[in-house]
Amino acid sequence: MIISVASGKGGTGKTTVATALALSVGYCQFMDYDVEAPNSSFFLKPYIKHTQKVTIKQPYFLTETGEDFSKCAEFCNYNALAVLKDDVIFFPELCHGCGGCMLVGPDGAVREKDVEVGEVKKGVTSPNIDYYMGDLKPGSMRTVSVQSALDKAIIPRELVIIDCPPGTSCPMVFSVKDCDYCILVTEPTPYGLNDLKLSIDVLEKMGKPFGVVINRDGIGDDEVEKYCIKNGVKILAKIPNDKEIAKYYSIGESLVEYDKNWKQKFENILKEIEKDLVV
Amino acid sequence: MKVAISSSGTTLQSNVDPRFGRCPYYIIYDTETDNFEHAENKSSQAMGGAGIQTGQLIEKYGAKAVITGNVGPNAFRVLSSASIKVYSGVSGKVNDAIKKLKEGKLTETSAPDVGSHFGMGQK
Repeated sequence: MIISVASGKGGTGKTTVATALALSVGYCQFMDYDVEAPNSSFFLKPYIKHTQKVTIKQPYFLTETGEDFSKCAEFCNYNALAVLKDDVIFFPELCHGCGGCMLVGPDGAVREKDVEVGEVKKGVTSPNIDYYMGDLKPGSMRTVSVQSALDKAIIPRELVIIDCPPGTSCPMVFSVKDCDYCILVTEPTPYGLNDLKLSIDVLEKMGKPFGVVINRDGIGDDEVEKYCIKNGVKILAKIPNDKEIAKYYSIGESLVEYDKNWKQKFENILKEIEKDLVV
Repeated sequence: MKVAISSSGTTLQSNVDPRFGRCPYYIIYDTETDNFEHAENKSSQAMGGAGIQTGQLIEKYGAKAVITGNVGPNAFRVLSSASIKVYSGVSGKVNDAIKKLKEGKLTETSAPDVGSHFGMGQK
C-alpha cells in the first residue's frame, strides 16, 4: 500500500505526520519526495548506505558549423532556444530534455550531454525502515526528474509512505499519482482551508481517496472542521498546538517517540485507512 | 529605422503595453517612412520563455529598437545579442512614445527592469 502525505499550504506538518506514521508502524519504505527541501532525515535519522547522481540529457549546439537551427527553435515547446541572425542562445533552465531539437535540427549539429540535476540517497533507520530521499541540486529546476529516480526505487512492500512537497503543481501531482490513499495535512486557518480545498480538487480529479489531519489545532478557527463535516471528508486526527510537541520537534524528535499515546493514535490512523480502502 | 512598440491594440492610438514578452500586439513603425504595421504577439500565452520568443520575433521584423514598459532577464539577453536597443519604462500612447523617441527624449535601458514571469497572470 502506498500512502502519500500531502498538503496545499506549506508548513502544515506533512513531515511531522509522515515520519510519525513511519515510526509508529515501524516497518515500511519511507520516501522523501520533497526533493527541493527534504527534511524527513532530521526526524528519521537514517544511516545512508548509497548515493546516486541523477542526470538528464540536454542538447548542445555546434554553432561553429554555421548550420541553421531555426527548426529547433520553432519546435521547442518551452522556448529554450533563441536563434538570431548572428547568435544561438540556449536556455538550459527552460529545457525539458525532450530531444526534439535533435530530431528536427541539422544532422549531427545538435548533440546531447548528461547534466547532473541532483541525487537520490538510500539508507536505513530503526526500527525497520528503508529510507529514500531525493535532493535537487541548488539552482536546478528539474524537480520531477529527481522524483522520477525515486519512483524507480519503490518496491511495493507492505507499506510505502511518501512525504510530498507542498502545493498542487507538478511535484505534488507526481508524488501522489501512484498512491492508494492520500493524507492531507492542514492547519485550522483561512489559508489552511483555502489551500486544502485546492488539494482536494486535485485528488478528486485524480480519483484518489483521502483523509485530513488537522495539525496545530487551536491556532485558528473551526472552519476547516466544519468544511470537512459538511463535505463528508474524514478527519483522521487532530494534533493540538502544543508546546511540548513543538519543543521536541525543534530538536528533531517525533511526537510518537516521547509520547506512547501518539504512537497508538498513528497506528489507529493506519487502521482507519486500511478500513477505508477495503470498503 | 524600424522600431517595435509593445501595444495593447493595433493602432497608433493604442496604449504602450507594460509587458515586452506578453503584450498582445507589436506596432512596427518605420521612423523614416512613417509607415507602420502591427504584429500579433503569439508568445503572450506561452508557458515560459515568452520574452525569448518575442525577442526573435522583433529581430525577424527588422526592428533595431524596442519601446516597452518592462523587460525581463531572458528577453534582455536575446535583445542584447541581436543588438536591438531597449527603451523600457515607457507608458502612454504609442504615437506619443514614437514622438519622444524622435525627439531624443527616451533613455536607453542597459539592464532588465523586472524579474522572470513579470507579465504572467496579467490581463
